Amino acid sequence: MAEQFQTQQLALANSVAQLPLLTTLNAQGREAFAEAAMPTRKTEAWKYTSLTALLANEYGAPAVAGSNEQLTAAATINGLDAARLVFVNGQLSNELSDALALQQVTLFSQANDGQQALISEKLNSVLTQAQGSEHLFNDLNNANVNEGVLIHVGKNERLQQPLQISYLTTQNANPFAVTARILLVMETGADATVVEHYGSDEHAQVNFTNALTEILVGDNARLQHYRLNLMQEESLHIGSTHIDLGRDSQYNAFHLALGSRITRSDLVVNHNKGGSHCEISGVYIPQNQQLVDFHTCIEHKVAHCTSNEVFRGIMNDKAKAVFNGRIHIHPQAQKTLAELSNKNLLLTNSAEINTKPELEIYADDVKCAHGATVAQLDEKGLFYLRSRGISKREAEVIMSFGFINELLEALPDEAITNLLRPILAQRFGREQDLALHLLENEAAGIAGENA
Amino acid sequence: MSSNAEIERRIGNDYQAGFVTNIESDTLAPGLDEDVVRFISAKKGEPEWLTEWRLKAFRAWQEMVEPDWAHVTYPKPDFQALSYYSAPKSMADKPKSLDEVDPELLATYEKLGIPLHEQMALAGVAVDAVFDSVSVATTFREKLAEAGVIFMPISEAVHEHPELVKKYLGSVVPQRDNFYAALNSAVFSDGSFVYIPKGVRCPMELSTYFRINEAKTGQFERTLIVADEGSHVSYLEGCTAPMRDENQLHAAVVELVAMDNAEIKYSTVQNWYPGDKEGKGGIYNFVTKRAVAHTNAKVSWTQVETGSAVTWKYPSCILKGDNSVGEFYSVALTNNFQQADTGTKMVHLGKNTRSTIISKGISAGKSQNAYRGLVRMNPNAEGARNYTQCDSLLIGDQCGAHTFPYIESKHPSAVVEHEATTSTVSDDQLFLCRQRGIDTEKAVSMIVNGFCKEVFKELPMEFAVEAGKLLEVSLEGSVG
Repeated sequence: MAEQFQTQQLALANSVAQLPLLTTLNAQGREAFAEAAMPTRKTEAWKYTSLTALLANEYGAPAVAGSNEQLTAAATINGLDAARLVFVNGQLSNELSDALALQQVTLFSQANDGQQALISEKLNSVLTQAQGSEHLFNDLNNANVNEGVLIHVGKNERLQQPLQISYLTTQNANPFAVTARILLVMETGADATVVEHYGSDEHAQVNFTNALTEILVGDNARLQHYRLNLMQEESLHIGSTHIDLGRDSQYNAFHLALGSRITRSDLVVNHNKGGSHCEISGVYIPQNQQLVDFHTCIEHKVAHCTSNEVFRGIMNDKAKAVFNGRIHIHPQAQKTLAELSNKNLLLTNSAEINTKPELEIYADDVKCAHGATVAQLDEKGLFYLRSRGISKREAEVIMSFGFINELLEALPDEAITNLLRPILAQRFGREQDLALHLLENEAAGIAGENA
Repeated sequence: MSSNAEIERRIGNDYQAGFVTNIESDTLAPGLDEDVVRFISAKKGEPEWLTEWRLKAFRAWQEMVEPDWAHVTYPKPDFQALSYYSAPKSMADKPKSLDEVDPELLATYEKLGIPLHEQMALAGVAVDAVFDSVSVATTFREKLAEAGVIFMPISEAVHEHPELVKKYLGSVVPQRDNFYAALNSAVFSDGSFVYIPKGVRCPMELSTYFRINEAKTGQFERTLIVADEGSHVSYLEGCTAPMRDENQLHAAVVELVAMDNAEIKYSTVQNWYPGDKEGKGGIYNFVTKRAVAHTNAKVSWTQVETGSAVTWKYPSCILKGDNSVGEFYSVALTNNFQQADTGTKMVHLGKNTRSTIISKGISAGKSQNAYRGLVRMNPNAEGARNYTQCDSLLIGDQCGAHTFPYIESKHPSAVVEHEATTSTVSDDQLFLCRQRGIDTEKAVSMIVNGFCKEVFKELPMEFAVEAGKLLEVSLEGSVG
């Protein structure tokens, strides 16, 4: 089955119209992908993640999809005044996109000479820094890519609006594959907020998104990055984010995976210059038979960098989650401060969590810590709420929600918090009324305080 | 980092057990095939079933590949260049009592601080001394027999208590468990066998002392401890080897069976020769240790690891019965070019099972020290609980400390907590001590001792003192 998938994906790669700019990369990718072995249960990085569901289908290229109200709704984040780039089934939707008007944003196919030079120089450059954190799906992305988004924020420039890049999927006759590629280059002192968003409407069927985002944060630059995976249940998503941090730069991120048939998300942060800092939080909430797999790797390559990573997960029904958080301190990276925390809630007997916080340290003057916990909702807490007349169900929702609300509240963009809260609340409440009721109560409470 | 330079200076390498005993030995020519397995079995006069058992393991081993997932690098041993059996000649005609044992052998143990004469021995510790492939002497056997406790070399137990050996051998670590366990099952030479009958509290500490002496040999001992219902035993294990330029292989298997309500406490002070300052020589220590705990049983592993060039060791607990308890306390110190990949596995099968893991890793010089652990909560492990703490201390900027904890949970009411920190002996700490008139050397020693306190307090008293000293010697020159 694995070989079949490989051959078929290669055939697909050969069939797409290539961009002259990307032919070398495509060829490299094809070669690497053809040679790579499909991961099995014995492959350490895929130990807990079965790809059977992915390999079971044959994927074609999607037909061009029109837009509908649901898609428009899916592409809209209320209250976020964002410039948008919306792809539907892998094709740019002109109707829903307005970000191309910005001089910082372009597509690979529309790049001018200067931008083409930049793409040639930087594309794939962050990925190649990964020391063992890259995998064959990155090669596949290289093989398949024939379009992508280039964001180039110039020296000391600030993107006035957040930039939202949405990859949406909708109805298609057959299972299809989408290759998403983003290259974000931030020059010295640049500042931006980017929302990377994967979603689908109700009609979406089996589809496989292979996403690869490379980010270069220049000296003194600052990036606020959201990576929201809100795809529907049958989706298969394998995505990687690779980041290169310059001197005194900052990468703040929030990664969310609601869960789908398979969601695999890799995050690799390379601290390449001193004084850089990354602050990453993440939430995963798979339900039913979903699988979420987060692999993060913080590479501290130089001295005087700091990193802080907080991931929380709630597993319901028969869902399964994998979290692998690696901190790698290279011999030169003295005076590093690195922390990682991973907390998990298991709600049912058939849910499963496999977590592995790893430390690999080759420098002595560092402070590193990681912690991981797995538990269920605190009985005393539930009892406390119930003793005050709150039903068991409601108490459970309140406590589950409280578990991740802390991370949501800390997000700098309120619009994102507001987008996610009802979605997440519904996950715990199941009954939408209950969730909304709780949210309303809370809103009323806040209003009351303000008054 | 002036303090580090001081530390560096102080970590010397004073391996006091590095002498060679000049004694004639019967050593089998190097090489390994079915005939060698048969030879070892015949030499021990083993029954047919055990010979077959060994051969089965050997056949399985031939198909297995040496594992390479551990965070260690070393030239793979050439298994055909090793000798699989070596015994002092004087042991050939089985001495009946200690008086008949070669005085040279006794002197060896004397020198190592393990007196085998009962009148001179520490009261309350019975010792089984294993020299290369054979057991030299076992003290206090009669006294233990009075209590019904069986404590003897496993090669003798095969003859005297075949039913027990047959029942439990390989029941915890099957022949094909892993590469080294399979090798051990095929060629194991000697080791200790302990059986504590129902409801008996073993009247004294039991102890085995392993010594490698011959060059170009491997030591493959096998220890089997069975604690029957409601019994209690505390067992100590120590090991040393001469200083040699070549690497020697030590692949042991330890199996513990704790029946209902039984308690086994297993302590190890591992001080195999770690190699010299350039990383030349030293023992490859590839050990499989595992325990099964039945209902309400308790198994506690305590280890102080200071020796060996390469360590690959994961004492584990299968918490099979409800309410069973597993504990793992470890101090692993690596210096110079030593490499250690060690940790534990706690597999929670029963309800309300509990486990505690305290691991302290200290790396100095150019060494690499990794903790690798697994905590697994199976779907039936209702109310199971685990607490893991693994701390690493780095001394010097050329060493590494790594943590690879695997946490797998399939039960919502199971609670798993894992914490890990890595730090160095900070200038602030040193400053505080020095300001109070404590010199750098003492200060570091104090800090390291404090760092390990939680584990040392689990060791039997004599061992705790020993372990503290061992740590000091091993660290000499690295800590300032």
